Amino acid sequence: MMWSEKYRPQNFLDLVGNEDARKLFVDWFSNWKKGVKPILLVGPPGTGKTTMANLAAKEFNYDLISLNASDVRNKKNIQEILTPVLGNQTVLGTPMIFVDEVDGVHGRGDYGGAAEIIKILKEPTIPIVLAANSSTSDKMKNIKKAVKVIEIKPLSPRLLRLYLNKILKLEDAKLSPGSLIKLISEARGDLRSMINTAQALVTGFNPPTEKSFESLDVEEGINAFYKANSVDEARIVLYSLRIDPREKINAFYSSIISSNISSDEMQESLEIISEADMLYGKIMKTQEWRLLRYLDSILLGLYKKDTTIRYSKYNLSWPILNRIRWDGAKIKSLFSLLAKNMHVSRSTFSSIYFPFMLICIKNKKLELDLDESFDEVIEKEIELMK
Amino acid sequence: MSWIKITMKFDGKCLVCNQKVKSKEIGLWSKGVGVKHEKCAEQNEEIKCIICGGNSGCQTCEFLENCDLQKVSQLCICKKCEDSQDLFSTYQSAVIKKFPILKIQE
Repeated sequence: MMWSEKYRPQNFLDLVGNEDARKLFVDWFSNWKKGVKPILLVGPPGTGKTTMANLAAKEFNYDLISLNASDVRNKKNIQEILTPVLGNQTVLGTPMIFVDEVDGVHGRGDYGGAAEIIKILKEPTIPIVLAANSSTSDKMKNIKKAVKVIEIKPLSPRLLRLYLNKILKLEDAKLSPGSLIKLISEARGDLRSMINTAQALVTGFNPPTEKSFESLDVEEGINAFYKANSVDEARIVLYSLRIDPREKINAFYSSIISSNISSDEMQESLEIISEADMLYGKIMKTQEWRLLRYLDSILLGLYKKDTTIRYSKYNLSWPILNRIRWDGAKIKSLFSLLAKNMHVSRSTFSSIYFPFMLICIKNKKLELDLDESFDEVIEKEIELMK
Repeated sequence: MSWIKITMKFDGKCLVCNQKVKSKEIGLWSKGVGVKHEKCAEQNEEIKCIICGGNSGCQTCEFLENCDLQKVSQLCICKKCEDSQDLFSTYQSAVIKKFPILKIQE
């Protein structure tokens, strides 16, 4: 299990840092009544915004309805999800809404979602909490007008150390003072990324670390995934590989297809790739981006300990690639030569003349006076005719 | 986040000391953040320790280069308090003392 989940705070006192913000947030929940302005938590990734919303639901006995930017891109979606909740229907318990990454709703991906959210924010009938990484863009202006903003700041390195030491103690694990300082310095206030990196280091595996919003090299990522010592480590690597989903699927596909694994293993892996591909196709067709969260879980099925699979960007096996690269050039020059002799174009020769010529050569009815270097490629072509 | 020195046109509330920054007074302003007194901005070179209430000793901290004092969460732990036993419980006790509202009764 990932430490960031295992040691997720259970109450507001388990959190570290941002004490003022925590106080304002709890204050707001304690005094909440219909019509009170919703809350917008603004802060960099890994500072506890989502955790705070989850804790509030738990501690104040609300039924949390959690949405993210992809769920609230269009007006229809929002109305379908939130209209029953915003009414006076007691059957739904005591709901509260949490919209994560609300700063991602705007722009080209917004199909009326932002306007609909603002409409709901202006007349809140239940507690609404929004979270965003940044609120400085002009696009967030309208949302900011309708909410109370609480700034969540990155944690100071010493507070990060406080939390990390607590986890290390509970795990009965140790890190050298040098690694500890490096880890904390590189986290830059992002607690989640620091915990993930620490877990990777302690378990004896040093994969590229999860830095929120930082994309990793595909080659390094795929290799680290297959070199991982456990599923958990592979998961960390996979989640840290923040690249375009299509590129991710393609990278795995080309790596698998060009590897030397057995047919059974390859079949198994390709079935998983196919499943991932179908999911991505469905997302593209329906624009239901919230399904994207399942992609990594599917791809995790590709992990096998001690496998020989390594990254390859070519989606053909080496023998085929070699043939295309080297034999292709040879065939081309053969076509050029013979097409010239027969006064036809190269394409006419290759598509019409050449197959007949091969039959004649095979049946020993024709002997060409060609350079010896062409013999091999002609033999291979005759071989392919069978 | 950049702070710009301005002559206040209207009264404002200092982000550090919570006191008024009066109009015509010099203040430091940052878009979308707010204002603070010039003096308070200087004090910000040191973050307070949540446990003992003293300065955290930012200028001698081993993480000084990697810690943006203006941006980080504004309470930290000083070196002396950091050496105390069962630090996390001590930190939690200090938080309860300073922010009792965070201890939510079941």
